[in-house]
Amino acid sequence: MRGFLTPKGLIGAAIVIIVLAIAVFAPLIIPDKLATAMDMRARLSGPTLAHPFGTDQLGRDLFYRVMLGARTSVLIAGSAVLMSIVIGLPLGIVSGYYGGVIDNVLMRLVDTLLSFPALLLALTISAVLGPNLTNTIIAIGIAFTPFLARIIRGEALRVAQMPYVEAARAAGTTDAMMIVRHILPNIMPAIIVQGTISLAFAILAEAGLSFLGLGTQPPDASWGLMIQASRDYLDVAPWTALVPGAAVALTVLGLNMFGDVLRDVLDPRTTS
Amino acid sequence: MAYLINRLLSVALTLFLISVITFAVTNILPGDVAMMIMGTQSNPEALAGLRESLGLNDPQIVQYGRWIGGILTGDWGTSLVFKEPIGPLIAQKVTASALIVVMSMTIALVCAIPLGVWAAVHRDRWQDGTASTAALIGVSLPDFFWGIMLILLFARGLGWLPSSGFVHPADDFTLAVRHAFLPSLALGLGLMAHLTRMTRATMTGILGQEFIRVARAKGLSERTVVWRYGLANAIGPVLTVAGLQVGYLFGSIIVVESLFNYTGMGWLTYQALLNRDIPLIQGSVFVIAAVVMLANLAVDLLYTLIDPRIRLA
Repeated sequence: MRGFLTPKGLIGAAIVIIVLAIAVFAPLIIPDKLATAMDMRARLSGPTLAHPFGTDQLGRDLFYRVMLGARTSVLIAGSAVLMSIVIGLPLGIVSGYYGGVIDNVLMRLVDTLLSFPALLLALTISAVLGPNLTNTIIAIGIAFTPFLARIIRGEALRVAQMPYVEAARAAGTTDAMMIVRHILPNIMPAIIVQGTISLAFAILAEAGLSFLGLGTQPPDASWGLMIQASRDYLDVAPWTALVPGAAVALTVLGLNMFGDVLRDVLDPRTTS
Repeated sequence: MAYLINRLLSVALTLFLISVITFAVTNILPGDVAMMIMGTQSNPEALAGLRESLGLNDPQIVQYGRWIGGILTGDWGTSLVFKEPIGPLIAQKVTASALIVVMSMTIALVCAIPLGVWAAVHRDRWQDGTASTAALIGVSLPDFFWGIMLILLFARGLGWLPSSGFVHPADDFTLAVRHAFLPSLALGLGLMAHLTRMTRATMTGILGQEFIRVARAKGLSERTVVWRYGLANAIGPVLTVAGLQVGYLFGSIIVVESLFNYTGMGWLTYQALLNRDIPLIQGSVFVIAAVVMLANLAVDLLYTLIDPRIRLA
């Protein structure tokens, strides 16, 4: 546990907690009016006392919008990673625990899916299903599944060869009991570490999808969408890109730092 | 020999699976090609006629057979948006993207390896702290954000390089590289950060091993120890990770090429996705996945050349 008390661990955890708190509470505290209020006289205004982060092309306050965008990013990234774990977990465990033909077939499929760049897969699925919030979650969730299934399979395979598993089998433990009692608890640390790192990638993927118009759709506030909207005003108002860009970068940075420390603490066989 | 045959069979099987997945993913579309050609407001009878003539009423497996048959015989169909045959269109765009993929990989490797070695040699000192922090920030920034910053700085601010467009290397090589430079840098910086972390981690592990202590005890110079003994053992894993990043690069080019209006494979795929140009989506996705798979195969084979301990078995 001492790993968390390093500067890296503390900063990472602080960023993650702050972003989570903003994602949960900002929409409850900030009145909708403030985030959507268009101040046409203050369009593309730089940072001022009234608008500390400046305003966008419609004169909306960037501080409020970037706060509200946190919920969309966190919601999509969190749900997508959860989805990929829910699908990847049974696939990985069955493959790693049983081995043999099932393992061969499943992993051949997973390896093939890994040939598709995750972002390409997510973009294609989102374009095919029609871009909106739910489909963005599905798209990123499916795109990340092969990777997680691969990791979980490797862990399950490692644990399945442990002497205590052999002992439990000799004692007559059934497969189902074995998976629930012995395999699952012992692969949990690796899943938590990979899940945290995947969250960072999912935040980036959501921003990328929304930036290309194939993710979150207006009027939802999303960091990727805000960066996309800023493209036409880069010369006159670079802060319209910098503010949401910094939000993405800071969140991902926090998750990466936290993930590195988690790995050192929970999964010391691998180093960051 | 048996290894090679095995490997080739495995490649063929994977290509087949890639084609099946590509076809399956794009065929769950709610609309179909006939609707794309005639528009949603078209006469239902004409639509039904077109569906029949395009064979869209055939079972999925027959449609897949026709599509893969076309791919194998070189008839990739016609793009609905560009009204051009897909095969030549993709071939032309792949060369454009190859330029920025190679450039960004070169930028990343040339900077990441010395930086990672430097950090590992000065482990837990300020040099390591600086390099590791910079790399951590680097992997946390989205590529398109790098792209926007580079446009602001080098194109708008300093006016050194063009911020958009593509020039074919055969027409004017210097101009082609100038156009490709900012997109390559946008892709390369994130990759560089990732590879720096990887090089540092691998080198740290190797520098702690017995044979390094022996080399130092023999009185070899620090330079020989680090580069001839250390890096020679770290380069394999680093190159493997770099090879695996080709997939990541081919995902990122979709965003970066669109940002820079660089008309390569990523830009083409994006146009196909935006316009739901199904035949072009199928062709592009298939080609990208195939290229990524072959790149990983190439890295595997390269690995056996670099590291003589790994035998083809």
